[in-house]
Amino acid sequence: MQALIESPLMKKAPPLYRAVIHATYKENFAFRSTMAVSLIVQPVYFLVHYFIWQAVFQVHDTVSGFTLNTMLYYFAVSSLLGFLNWDDADGTLQRLVQTGKFITFQLRPVYHLYYAFFEKVGHRLLAFWVEIIPIIGFYLLFKIKPIPTMPVWAIISVALSFILGFLINYTIGTIAFWLVKTDGLRRAMLVIKDVCSGVFLPLTLFPSVIQKVLFFLPFQFVSYVPARVFMGSYELAGITMSIPQIVGLQAAMVAVTYLLNRLVWHFGIKRFTGVGA
Amino acid sequence: MARTVDLPSPDEQKSNAGPLFQWFKIYIHGMKTAFASRMAYRGDFFMSMFIMMVVELFGPLVTLLIYHNGASFPGWERHEVLLLQGVFLLSRGIAFPFFMGMVWNTISRVQEGTYDLLLIKPRSILQMSIITAFDSEDLGKLIGGILLFIYALKSVPSLPLVNWASFLLLFIFSLITMFAFGLFMSGLGIVWIGNYRIYDIFMSVMDFGLYPRSIFNKLFQTIITWVIPISLLGSFPASALLGKQITGVLGAMLCSIFFLLVGLWFFHRMVRNYTSAGG
Repeated sequence: MQALIESPLMKKAPPLYRAVIHATYKENFAFRSTMAVSLIVQPVYFLVHYFIWQAVFQVHDTVSGFTLNTMLYYFAVSSLLGFLNWDDADGTLQRLVQTGKFITFQLRPVYHLYYAFFEKVGHRLLAFWVEIIPIIGFYLLFKIKPIPTMPVWAIISVALSFILGFLINYTIGTIAFWLVKTDGLRRAMLVIKDVCSGVFLPLTLFPSVIQKVLFFLPFQFVSYVPARVFMGSYELAGITMSIPQIVGLQAAMVAVTYLLNRLVWHFGIKRFTGVGA
Repeated sequence: MARTVDLPSPDEQKSNAGPLFQWFKIYIHGMKTAFASRMAYRGDFFMSMFIMMVVELFGPLVTLLIYHNGASFPGWERHEVLLLQGVFLLSRGIAFPFFMGMVWNTISRVQEGTYDLLLIKPRSILQMSIITAFDSEDLGKLIGGILLFIYALKSVPSLPLVNWASFLLLFIFSLITMFAFGLFMSGLGIVWIGNYRIYDIFMSVMDFGLYPRSIFNKLFQTIITWVIPISLLGSFPASALLGKQITGVLGAMLCSIFFLLVGLWFFHRMVRNYTSAGG
């Protein structure tokens, strides 16, 4: 029985994951008004940023190479990426470990990593029409058209950032095997991730020393890199790269993060104990 | 080891000072209980508190980076904007641990069905919602606010006493506004079951208070002064402290009181709408 559960064939059965996507979509559809709160929140955030940058660009034509239009374009694209990449994989895993419910996943013929990933896919599919499409409509009112200059590379980059965002969160969630309750750590990592990935501001606005550090961290590949791919040029810490080069580097970072996640998981899972199912 | 508490007899309770004293006493009990339960995971508590503090200091990051890149907000020096944000965070740092927890408390209890347990207590529901919601880890926000306020204040030349007096008055009004926000959100939490994103709405609207009022256009300046007095959260108190000329402050103060009264009415109206199947 155990061998059957552990067999890779069982664990990677595509219909199972299709079912996970479908179930997550339907489950969250019931709470779509919660998701739709973004339709109030995001325009308000955008308006605040609009006024901030309008005031700043009243006295300066460019700030760190950005004009008012490119700054608003960057903000719009990075916010859309934020909606697309959002997940609570870390929180979900932590709660499963803390309550002991994770034990049920040890008995199911499914890898929790893939299960959680396809939950994210289902959840974000719903978000696509509840959050993303209406917000694109809002941006169009301000004549901001989030159309990438290199569509194929942009799609690849967005897909990679989707996976990378999940892997980072999931790895943070894995820490629950050691700490059980990780609210503080997760909150810290969320802030660090958001700031270092350029969700709030383009990373080129940071002092050059910090930019050099940010270049070697995985976070820039979650938001800053895909946003720059949308814009058609990449530059950070004085390093300029072509779009295929930076997307290639992004793919390498996804592979490294995946391996790191598996390593942390390997040691973490040995610490888990649970009673009953 | 079991711990016992000596509860005062009914006669002793009656002989004590007025309802405010009783309120305060119960609130202290609520604080102690909140601390004790949070200490079950003390490592996470201290980390959360530290993170709260750091997160608050990330708020002015946009300002720092704007000024670092040679840009600025027209009419405002870097330290002045930081002072404004320090005042804003100070106000939030007091509100969140001491009474804003009632929002989370209300949403969570309504969702779980344990809100009834507060309703049957021999105290007002608003009082019980606040008392059982002390958020100890949010004290990190207060520390963050104090640190930023002191840091920004260092760059400001010594200020006359009258500036401090008007600042304190407006700061009280900023807390009143915060409390009114809390009432609206808690009221919403009663009817919008389990939607913790009510906080998100509040946080996004509050973002208008984190920057000088003058950067917004006339329409938004009117809204954040006369409709939702967000200007009182940072811009007005900081301007008063810095001795800057401010217009519409009296209107904002009146609006704040009106906002509070409507908030109280809204909260109690929503409580009347609350339905459940018993605790």
